[in-house]
Amino acid sequence: MSLLHNLTSGLRSLFRKEQENRELEEELNGFLEMAAQEKMNRGMNREDALRAVRLERGSLGVTKEIVHAARWESFLEACWQDVRFGVRMLRKGPGFTAVVVLMLALGIGANTAIFSLMNAVMLQSIPVPNPEQLMVLRWSAHNRPQSIGHSSYGDCRSTNWATTYASSCSFSYPMLKEIREHSTVFSGIAAFAGPAQLDLSGNGPASMVSGEIVSGDFFQTLGVGATSGRTLDLNDEKPGAEAVAVLSYAYWQTTYGGSAAVIGKTIKLNGVPFTIVGVADPRFTRLTPGKSQDLWAALSQVAALRIPWGGGNLNKSDRWWLTVVGRIAPGISPTQAQTATSLLFRDEIVHESLLKTADEPQVALLPAQKGLSGLRSWAEEPLILLMGAVAILLLISCANVAGLLLSRAETRRKEIAVRLSLGAGRARIARQLLTESLLLSFAGAAVGIFIAFLGANALAAFVVANHNSALTLNATPDLTVLLFTVGVAAVTGILFGLVPALSGTRANLAPVLKENATSMTSAVARGRRRVGPGGALVVVQVALSMIVLAGAGLVVRSLANLKGINPGFDTSNLLQFGIDPALTGSYKEAEVQNLYGELQRRLTHLPSVMGVSYSSDVLLNGGLWTSDVKIEGRADKSEVEIQMLAVGSDFFSAMRIPVVAGRALTPADMASAHEVAMVNRAFVKRFIENREPLGLHFGGYGPKDTLYEIVGVVGDTKYDDLRKEPEPTAYIPVKKGGVSFAVRTVSNAEALVPAVRRALSDLDSNLPMFDVHTQNERIERMLFTERLIAYLASVFGVVALILACIGLYGLLSYEVARRTKEIGVRTALGAQKRDVLRLVVAQGLTLVAIGIGFGVVGTFGVTRFLKSLLYGVEPTDAYALLAVCALLLLVGGVACLIPARHATRVVPMVALRYE
Amino acid sequence: MADKPSDLVQGTLDMLILKTLALEPMHGYGVSVRIEQMSNGIFRVNAGSLFVAFERLQRAGMIKSEWKTTENSRRAKYYALTERGGKRLDSETREWTKQVAAIARILEAS
Repeated sequence: MSLLHNLTSGLRSLFRKEQENRELEEELNGFLEMAAQEKMNRGMNREDALRAVRLERGSLGVTKEIVHAARWESFLEACWQDVRFGVRMLRKGPGFTAVVVLMLALGIGANTAIFSLMNAVMLQSIPVPNPEQLMVLRWSAHNRPQSIGHSSYGDCRSTNWATTYASSCSFSYPMLKEIREHSTVFSGIAAFAGPAQLDLSGNGPASMVSGEIVSGDFFQTLGVGATSGRTLDLNDEKPGAEAVAVLSYAYWQTTYGGSAAVIGKTIKLNGVPFTIVGVADPRFTRLTPGKSQDLWAALSQVAALRIPWGGGNLNKSDRWWLTVVGRIAPGISPTQAQTATSLLFRDEIVHESLLKTADEPQVALLPAQKGLSGLRSWAEEPLILLMGAVAILLLISCANVAGLLLSRAETRRKEIAVRLSLGAGRARIARQLLTESLLLSFAGAAVGIFIAFLGANALAAFVVANHNSALTLNATPDLTVLLFTVGVAAVTGILFGLVPALSGTRANLAPVLKENATSMTSAVARGRRRVGPGGALVVVQVALSMIVLAGAGLVVRSLANLKGINPGFDTSNLLQFGIDPALTGSYKEAEVQNLYGELQRRLTHLPSVMGVSYSSDVLLNGGLWTSDVKIEGRADKSEVEIQMLAVGSDFFSAMRIPVVAGRALTPADMASAHEVAMVNRAFVKRFIENREPLGLHFGGYGPKDTLYEIVGVVGDTKYDDLRKEPEPTAYIPVKKGGVSFAVRTVSNAEALVPAVRRALSDLDSNLPMFDVHTQNERIERMLFTERLIAYLASVFGVVALILACIGLYGLLSYEVARRTKEIGVRTALGAQKRDVLRLVVAQGLTLVAIGIGFGVVGTFGVTRFLKSLLYGVEPTDAYALLAVCALLLLVGGVACLIPARHATRVVPMVALRYE
Repeated sequence: MADKPSDLVQGTLDMLILKTLALEPMHGYGVSVRIEQMSNGIFRVNAGSLFVAFERLQRAGMIKSEWKTTENSRRAKYYALTERGGKRLDSETREWTKQVAAIARILEAS
């Protein structure tokens, strides 16, 4: 209450300053008059009385100052004065101000940009009401459940299967129903899977959309409403329910232009008519970071959509494929909820004999914000690394600006000495200098936010374009980002402002004021002190830029190594696209073979095409199919894991994978009942040893599983990952399912896309083409993290190098200017140009060398965090370090030369008459 | 030395002002004279401390002020105790008496 009173009266006096001052003056005048009157009554004359009162009670002016200074608002006023004075000082040196603001803007802007991305990926909460109540269910046990089919879609961190431990976030539909019906700890349960790539027709040409398959209470649980129409409810999940879809707001806007007429319209998904019943709330852009959906359909439609998850039948308890999120009911603690859910899970799982009680099956509840990782699982590490790089960059900017301010404080020595001798307090002067620093850093931040806005959006677009599934990333700075920037600006301003503020006020008054007379001796005296704090700042800058450059060098070398890897097939001029005839609903299994054969034939006849084939998966695209098989004639009878790829005829010639023994697969093999396969060299080496591979059989361990006869051996290729050594792989003929076509061209594969599209639509206009990319594009995307870091780290490294050189240049120029007289004397005493040159360059290079020394130590400490990104390079790679050292010395030498040449042009007579 | 005014004990000025104003509303000079008289000239308050204290007390809601005319028909700002100020004076007086008695006991102990 009294605080409020104080505040309001303070503000009042701030705004009614004139009147308050007049009142105070009148009151004080009255006080003195009365005191004087009394003395006059005692016989003193007026003049003496007034003087006596002033002596006894203090003079009017001083009293006024005291009363003013005691008010808190006077502190604000003084700050405002500082700011105005600071602005005036900065405007007096527009060049200096511009350079400093630009340097800070670079540093702060880079930090804000990377932080915006971090914010979007890691910090922003799920855009639904009360997201903190949402919990992801994750089960674990000491054993893997008996013969379950398991799938996940990148929502949770990768599942973990070991012999004594298993854990994942996928559950069966019966388990979902069990929890929903018997659990009392949740106010709602939502389950989802996908997104599935669905073939949408009935709205212009056929296209692929991302559709998530969700439980009926998905939207109610999340608290997401419809902006138009309705969302789903539990009736939509019942067997035989009408097929309905809810569109996402973004998809509704881009595809239907936000037209309300879309509600009630029918679209075809995978050939099945669906009615659009609503559009979701625009704020609901994602659940899992980075995953965006075009539309949602209920679980009941899985069979109709021919989505194979869950075995096409919801009621199979051995198909675990749903991610489950629960909203904790009010008044229930997470621990209570976890215990209750764990019990439910254990009873049900033991009841179905999928696990034993001894396996200790249990469920943990993870906050959805943490548990649904998505994009975060791979973007977290690179972002933290980049954040480190930009933090170093900002430190370099700070050191640089501190150096500049320091040399400017030197020129302002006299001004400050005058103010100190006129009675200004040291704290007051330090505050003034700090205010100027903060002004600079906030100006830098203002420009920096602009840079960050452009940079963050460009980065986000780069990430989105390089990610291999639909991704949304909103990196537009929000309040968190702005607060971050303000904080960074404040810390930066204090950091670089502190050194000059402290050293600036330590001036010894007399010599400074007399500078003209003694500048010679004081300059020499200071020169002997070497370069002081300015030199230390340059050392810091060199050391820090060394770290950034070395990191960049290592990642760039790794990237070159990765790109230089021979994947075992020719990646140039190779265009691939996916088709899935099953999705249109109009092909029988047998007809699919004919379709593929016909498309292969038509594509082969296109101009400039050299070879066409198809396979179940694309090599070097991230996908991998593995299978457990038994191999005939092995001493060890247990099954082994091999990689599998189903391929069409001519696959090996089109991909240019050499056939080293036996024969390649022929068109006849595609339809033949006699199952044949090719294996790679790694397969032969690991499993067949010294026997003849041709004619051996391998296959599944069940009696009904297919047995394949090995008819040929091919060279090794990389499959899902460039870094992995080739693993044993078997190639079998494509018999069913969707495929990716590979088209080898004479040149520029991309130019062929329109012709391929036409050929496909001539064959069947309802068949959409998806995932159209060249092989090299796919490899670039696989190396996305490395490319992103290599690119950004190089940019940051170059900026760091430039900043460090500006710092060095600035320091030496200043030193040369300060030592002009000394240099003049040396020249007059017979020093040669080369001696003067050596004097300056040696000083600069010594600093660079010391910086490199610290930098090497720092680099050893820091680059081990890069280890997971490196390939074929050690974190302490000598070549990279030596190259960076050489670069720093070279560029540092150039930065020294300019001031050194200035020094050689000093004419002794002019120098001695200087000042 | 005896006739030289002493400095006030730290923190007591507010209490003395409140006490003076408890007798009757008064202008600044009046308060300073009253404190001097009542202390038999031991305490002399200079204008700086006095007006800072007025300002502080007024912002804390202990006293209020009003422009009036003095008996010598001069315009002056009169300060008066508020209810809050009265309560504060009571509590401070009690606290002070307690402390002085305690200090006296310590000093008299031998």
